[in-house]
Amino acid sequence: MIRRGALIKMGAIFVVSAIIATLVAVLIPWLPESASEEMDGIIFTYWFATVICIGIFALVAAVIIEAVWSFRVQPDDDTDGPPIHGHTGLEIAWTVVPAILVIAIGVVSAVVLAQNADAGDDALEVKVFAQQFAWRFEYDGQVMSDELVLPVDRGVEFRLESADVIHSFWIPEMGQKQDVVPGVQTEIAITPTRTGRFTLVCTELCGLGHSTMRAPVRVLEEQEFEAWLDERAEAGGPPPGEETGGEETTGGEETTGGEETVGGAQELGRTTFADAGCGGCHAFEPAGTDAQIGPALDDLEAAAQAAGTPVEEYVRESIVEPNAVLAEGYQAGVMPSTYGESLSPEALDALVAYLSEDTAP
Amino acid sequence: MTSVTGHEPQHADHGHAPSPARRRGILMRPGYVRALWCAALFFLVGMYIVVTLRWLAGWDPVYQWEIIVLIAGMVTAPLGFLTGIGAFDYWLHWISGRPTVPDDHANHGAYRWQDYFKVNTDHKVIGVQYLVTTFFFFLAGGFLAMLFRAELAQPGMQFFDTQTYNGLVSAHATLMIFVFIIPAFAGLANFAVPLMLGAPDMAFPRLNALSFWMLPIAGVLFLASFLAPGGAFATGWTSYAPLASEQPFGQVFFNMGVQWAGASSIATALNFLVTIITMRAPGMTFWRMPLLVWANFTTSLLVVIATPFIAGSQFFVMFDRVMSTSFFTPENGGYVLGYQHIFWFYSHPAVYIMILPGFGIISEIIAVMSRKPIFGYRLMAISLLGILVLGFSVWAHHMFVAGMADWLRVPMMISTLLIAVPTGVKVFSWLATLWEGKIHLNTPMLFALGFVSMFVIGGLSGIYLAAVPIDIHASDTYFIVAHIHYVLFGGSVFTIFAGIYYWFPKMTGRMYNERLGKLHFWLTFVWFNVTFFPMHWVGLVGMPRRVADYAGTFGALNMVVTIASYALGASVVIFMFNIITSWVRGPIAGDNPWRAMTIEWQVTSPPPVFNFDEIPQVVGGPYEYGVPGAKHAVLKGGSLQEARV
Repeated sequence: MIRRGALIKMGAIFVVSAIIATLVAVLIPWLPESASEEMDGIIFTYWFATVICIGIFALVAAVIIEAVWSFRVQPDDDTDGPPIHGHTGLEIAWTVVPAILVIAIGVVSAVVLAQNADAGDDALEVKVFAQQFAWRFEYDGQVMSDELVLPVDRGVEFRLESADVIHSFWIPEMGQKQDVVPGVQTEIAITPTRTGRFTLVCTELCGLGHSTMRAPVRVLEEQEFEAWLDERAEAGGPPPGEETGGEETTGGEETTGGEETVGGAQELGRTTFADAGCGGCHAFEPAGTDAQIGPALDDLEAAAQAAGTPVEEYVRESIVEPNAVLAEGYQAGVMPSTYGESLSPEALDALVAYLSEDTAP
Repeated sequence: MTSVTGHEPQHADHGHAPSPARRRGILMRPGYVRALWCAALFFLVGMYIVVTLRWLAGWDPVYQWEIIVLIAGMVTAPLGFLTGIGAFDYWLHWISGRPTVPDDHANHGAYRWQDYFKVNTDHKVIGVQYLVTTFFFFLAGGFLAMLFRAELAQPGMQFFDTQTYNGLVSAHATLMIFVFIIPAFAGLANFAVPLMLGAPDMAFPRLNALSFWMLPIAGVLFLASFLAPGGAFATGWTSYAPLASEQPFGQVFFNMGVQWAGASSIATALNFLVTIITMRAPGMTFWRMPLLVWANFTTSLLVVIATPFIAGSQFFVMFDRVMSTSFFTPENGGYVLGYQHIFWFYSHPAVYIMILPGFGIISEIIAVMSRKPIFGYRLMAISLLGILVLGFSVWAHHMFVAGMADWLRVPMMISTLLIAVPTGVKVFSWLATLWEGKIHLNTPMLFALGFVSMFVIGGLSGIYLAAVPIDIHASDTYFIVAHIHYVLFGGSVFTIFAGIYYWFPKMTGRMYNERLGKLHFWLTFVWFNVTFFPMHWVGLVGMPRRVADYAGTFGALNMVVTIASYALGASVVIFMFNIITSWVRGPIAGDNPWRAMTIEWQVTSPPPVFNFDEIPQVVGGPYEYGVPGAKHAVLKGGSLQEARV
């Protein structure tokens, strides 16, 4: 029944379609350059599926194009086609062959998935706290940071917690993604494979500030990372208002002691600024942050004057009730209004003092 | 029950406009005036139920407007509207003991254009009512999309604040899914299925009318949410808890709108099931049913089994807000992921609810326009049932990154990948039907072939999303947005266009303009691809979905997408122009312009009010093209277009 000429023509169209699809797949950089072992696995699975998909796409394209090309008739043609009702062999073939192909994709995926869940024996543990609309990271129960800093070539086990609604943790170059669910602790493993700067984005719609919920990510050489951690541990101390139970040690390394309170109120203000994640959204020169999600905090004196309140009172109100007075060009509801409860009174006082003093001329 | 007797063609006065026994005044007559005052009255009743209870309980304030709007505005006033418009009249008469005639045809059939604006029990009128109403919501949803595409044209915020933006995105998806795609298919099936079965109407014509009139209530609630303080619901059409229980009041419009759309959907599905099972013409065995009927049979099973789950999930979210329950709030032991499990247990089957009727439409069109029997008819029907069964075992593939039990991922991935098999069977069978056919490349066929090619791309991107490691990277990015638009626009919407062009001559008796139809197809096809194909790319390289603002590196592609989306929107204008002008003064189409064998083409265009003078006798399969002397059905009586005995 099937005409030989039509089949040969279809074969030619198949080859052309496959070449075009392959060029589209290869020439466009569809995926970001990998920065983790897990992303390497994802990219492998991606190419495995792509090869199969190109074949299926080219087959469908070839049949449609050839059918329209060869079997098209004029509108006034009243004849009918041959009454072919089916072909058992063909029908079995196009049930069984796709089943085998998709199962192959399934097996490859399951293997990669199992590999990607494993952070290795020497994994670094990082706790991630998400809230509307900020990220915070905790190392060894001690160091808090609003920047995610990771060592290269070492597995990292993230434990994620949300304070309010569902968020999702994704660094595009590292592939792995995990929702952060209130009431549930979720986990994800990433092994960074190259140093550099990346961005962590929230990918689960979490409210009006969702598109601003990002955090900087820095991958360092192991020694640089350890140095950063030590520096933060010495400068920092335990996060205010939180029971960590691990104050004496950081990563098995004895601390020299005394640094938690030595800096006094100003030091507490500085660490609170870092630990509460203020720098994730606000630029503040003394803290060296330059984020632009919220208004800059470098000229609070002027802002307070404009609002007609003393600067300390203005700063306190803006932390506890962020929607009361809004900086021009910024929207209500983006900044969390929970700091009144989540910060201890001392930490809040110190933070107010830190922000107000440093802006004084 | 009473309406079942309506099957017997015992009314000799078919063609006559029925005259009501007693002409009532404008205020008491079923219609918009009565709907208006009944809605107002029922609003007051609902409002004072709330106020009285709050006053008795000593709660302050007595006038709690959110609760009043919820109860009076979203429950009792719509009931008042339905009562006033006349959707309950027959049942109320029957309940109150007033004389009723079981086959009362007072509201049956359209004799004047005004009859399309009334409660009507004729499945053909209801079909057209569905299509026109859903197209209104399609235009509204498309308009919202153009608004937020303007915002996305450049990085940074230009036109809206982020809450408004989230509201636009959410309302766009909700309108398109709940009050366009799902009910547009119900409209096409309403028109075609009883005719194809050789039945005089649906099994429950009055329930059918009620189903339709519940639909605009849902659409109006979704749109009205923009008037709520705090703006429209802004949590996406998925409306995940606990965010949804903490959002401004607009969220409740979504919770309740879904109830009305869901009730409409369930009632229609029950109606289809009973019609298809009990009202097939003599000789119409299951293996002789057209594939459109098979598709709607399967879809209706999905609707009846799955839709109660989304109704429940939305009630629970709303209870968490207004009654301080803790279904999904972790503070009091609620289980956040429970929402997603319940939601997707509906919403994954809903994906098939939104595509299986389209499969049916495409099977009709490809067989007729290729002048060949559908290839592998029985396997086509069986694969629909395969999708039905597998469709209930794949929901958690929407939750691969959600933090659910890890062991669920691999089984759900395998079942998801396997569902590609019955879907692939359908695609290959369509292709084999084309082969060696006599292909008439008119507008319905163009949309059918456009559908097959776009749906294949959507299906292939679905394979990437089924593979867990890739999904973990691509989930919640623009890749998802691209995928769902390839299956819902390139898939469902293309089939809706194909179906409208295909049955337009039967519905109206007039032919659409073929040239404009083809122009519409090519503009839609090209701009659809320019709009949605780049989204795969921006998603994979790092742009999350549902963001009002994005990193500057994605700026150029987003500008391209926005421009293309405006061109895509403009192509709909051509469709509207074609349909409206052709409806008014298109050339007379004739009874069977496509030379199709299924029964709806064997009656006049438009069909007689009661479809058939005598129930047809089915004698063979529906797609016996090319078989010499083959017939699908034999018709007798006045609705014959030619002697066929």
